[in-house]
Amino acid sequence: MKKILIAVVISALPAFAFAQQNNIGSCGWGAKLFDGQSGVVPQVLAVTTNGTSGNQTFGITTGTSGCTQDGVVKSTWKTAMFIDGNKDRLARDMSIGNGETLDSLAHLIGVREEDRATFGRTMQANVSVIFPSGSTTDDSVVALKQVLRSDRELAQYAASI
Amino acid sequence: MPLGVFFGRMSFRARPWWAFLCFLCLLAPFGASASTYLDELIGRSRELRLSERRDWNRLMHYASNLITPGVHGLADARRFYLAPDGKADPQSELEATLAAFFSDIQETDKEQNPQCAFIARYAWLDRQLKFDPARLPRQPCRRFSEWRATLNPQGVTLIFPSAHVNNPSSMYGHTLLRIDAKDQDEKTRLLAYAINYAANTDETNGIAFAINGLFGGYPGMFSMMPYYLKVREYNDMENRDIWEYELDLSPEEIDRLLMHVWELGPIYFDYYFFDENCSYYLLELLEAARPDLDLTGDFRWWAIPSDTVREVVKQKGLVRKTVYRPSNATVIHHRLELMNGEEQAFVSSLSRGRASAQDPGFAALSPPVQARVLEVSHDYLSYLRATGRSPVEQPEELARKLLVERSRIGASASDPPVPVPEVRPDQGHGTSRIGLGGGRRDGANFVELRVRPTYHDLMDPDAGYVRGAQIEFFDFAVRDYSGGMGARVEDITPLSIVSISPRNEFFQPLSWKIDVGWARRRLSSGDEPLVFGVHGGPGLAWTVPDTLRSKTLVYAFLESTLQADTRLENNYALGIGPSIGALIDFTDRWRAEPYAREQSFFAGDTDTAWSVGLRQRYTLDRDWALRLDLSRERQEKQSWNTVLLSLHHYF
Repeated sequence: MKKILIAVVISALPAFAFAQQNNIGSCGWGAKLFDGQSGVVPQVLAVTTNGTSGNQTFGITTGTSGCTQDGVVKSTWKTAMFIDGNKDRLARDMSIGNGETLDSLAHLIGVREEDRATFGRTMQANVSVIFPSGSTTDDSVVALKQVLRSDRELAQYAASI
Repeated sequence: MPLGVFFGRMSFRARPWWAFLCFLCLLAPFGASASTYLDELIGRSRELRLSERRDWNRLMHYASNLITPGVHGLADARRFYLAPDGKADPQSELEATLAAFFSDIQETDKEQNPQCAFIARYAWLDRQLKFDPARLPRQPCRRFSEWRATLNPQGVTLIFPSAHVNNPSSMYGHTLLRIDAKDQDEKTRLLAYAINYAANTDETNGIAFAINGLFGGYPGMFSMMPYYLKVREYNDMENRDIWEYELDLSPEEIDRLLMHVWELGPIYFDYYFFDENCSYYLLELLEAARPDLDLTGDFRWWAIPSDTVREVVKQKGLVRKTVYRPSNATVIHHRLELMNGEEQAFVSSLSRGRASAQDPGFAALSPPVQARVLEVSHDYLSYLRATGRSPVEQPEELARKLLVERSRIGASASDPPVPVPEVRPDQGHGTSRIGLGGGRRDGANFVELRVRPTYHDLMDPDAGYVRGAQIEFFDFAVRDYSGGMGARVEDITPLSIVSISPRNEFFQPLSWKIDVGWARRRLSSGDEPLVFGVHGGPGLAWTVPDTLRSKTLVYAFLESTLQADTRLENNYALGIGPSIGALIDFTDRWRAEPYAREQSFFAGDTDTAWSVGLRQRYTLDRDWALRLDLSRERQEKQSWNTVLLSLHHYF
């Protein structure tokens, strides 16, 4: 019986502190900084303050940690993280009007097949608006939302950002 | 008493209040009925001898002991094995696991019920013993379900980033797994998740890292990240092409794999560079997914990532399809080849901010050509930034400017995609080599046996490898000479690395080489002791003509040598001198390398040594090659010729 008890207690121990320290939960302190605020701007700021484009690894089964839950990105963060993690490639694909990174963004915000061509053209025409500066993506999510909203066909997708 | 010690150290001392609380709350579930059903389950597991099954041993990461009978668990976190003796006793572990499933711990953000924390074991034991939900209530495992729902798995792909150009040691590579979701296709794979196993350390000292890595000094752990972060890292930052091997796993197998990953999430293993490394544990995951696979058998001692990829490809029907994802540098190379000189000149000046899209010369180009030039200029600027050679103060603003210019052109460049290499890394020659040959040196005939445990040298057939890259460990030759000299070790080279990387206007890598080992050295007395030496230096290389598929690579190095031996004057010799040569492919099978090298030993045992020669290789098939080496050498004012014909087998 004692053996069983020991087993159960040990199995339920939280991961060693060590593991948590080293598996950066991505948006860690950034998320805390903007804790309780919703909306795109705090999200993006939170992501950028922690620089998701680096070598983050997300611990599996470490519970909630910044913008990840057990190693996967929470759905509310998906778009902001994708844009921040792919900013150079995404800006490049937008300037061309197509490409893998742009396709993935379109998929992420649910752009239907029949609207993809319009989406590509609109992104190409607005690359300088969505990426107003070369160095940060702080305003890119907001700008992307604006660009979508002001297009008649694409306005329906603005809400999913 | 060992149990008490274990208990005390593991929980009470670490988290006294917490453990005590748990202790109280755990008293409840172990009523009479639970333990009766538990006894029944334990009894049945003994009858069925479940703990002897391969599946159980795989799930628990047991490996056979070397000398004594029995097994030992590879997982090093004590919380992976629930019984105090669970690391060595599969039956005791199985019984402790069954007992743990009766826990009624409620799942929180930081804590899980054992049924969920060890969900792969639960699923397997449930299948074998058919748990009665009335007597062993099933836990909902909400966190696992949500995690699985986010992954939405449909497939698993093995990811192999191939070598860095100019870093031969990266040929050993790294592997990771990608979980492909149901709603993704080839165009949206970036959104998948990658599962990576790596040593967990912040160590920045390369030597400390190497030593600790060799002896298991770091904990290895599984982690996840969006696949796009990995693609950006390998393709864009490190300029490594990525090979993706889509595996043919059934939905049940994928679920088993994910359950096992979940179970290993908080667990660490000692990370060993050579055997228990990233690739070894990925193979173990695949074995957990499909228990009849035997992938790790060959890698008990030595798991080179690229070899583990071969092992996976070798399994009949396991790989469904392969996808090649060229790096940024590869794409630039390819697209520069499609350009004429004028277009290339524009790329060169636009990417360095020395020209603008408004220049009349550029405006005169056709829109598709303008599109191509601007795209490649941007990509090349990214390459320069990634390799730390930014041409302007604010490269991000220049990059943005190029993109905005590009966005004004409606036309498409319509360049063909980078052709997929005909030979994948897993299809190249085997990485171990053994060669048998005969020849004549300085008037004496000999037979030679040469063994090279791993990996690739400049004269090996380079289909599937990086051209001009060499890395070898423990290359070693013995010769038996006629004329009374007898058998002797000719050379032993624990490590040899050569990187010959061609330069042009756009890419300016520095070639380099280093080797460490023992080789024969002529003394003025005529003796030839085996002398320890370190040798290497920087160099420059070019292809002639300057194209990707050029057949000729010429090089020049400035090499230094330090030899140490008691038979040398002053016990050492230090020299420096040039070497030049060329790798020429007359056909796909026939390569020749003429070379000349001089070393002026100016300190210690002084001498001027030189050698000239011609090495040739003819590929017979993937795993067989013939070599003919001719050379003339001079050391200590004595000169001699050598000729050697040898047959090499790769395996």
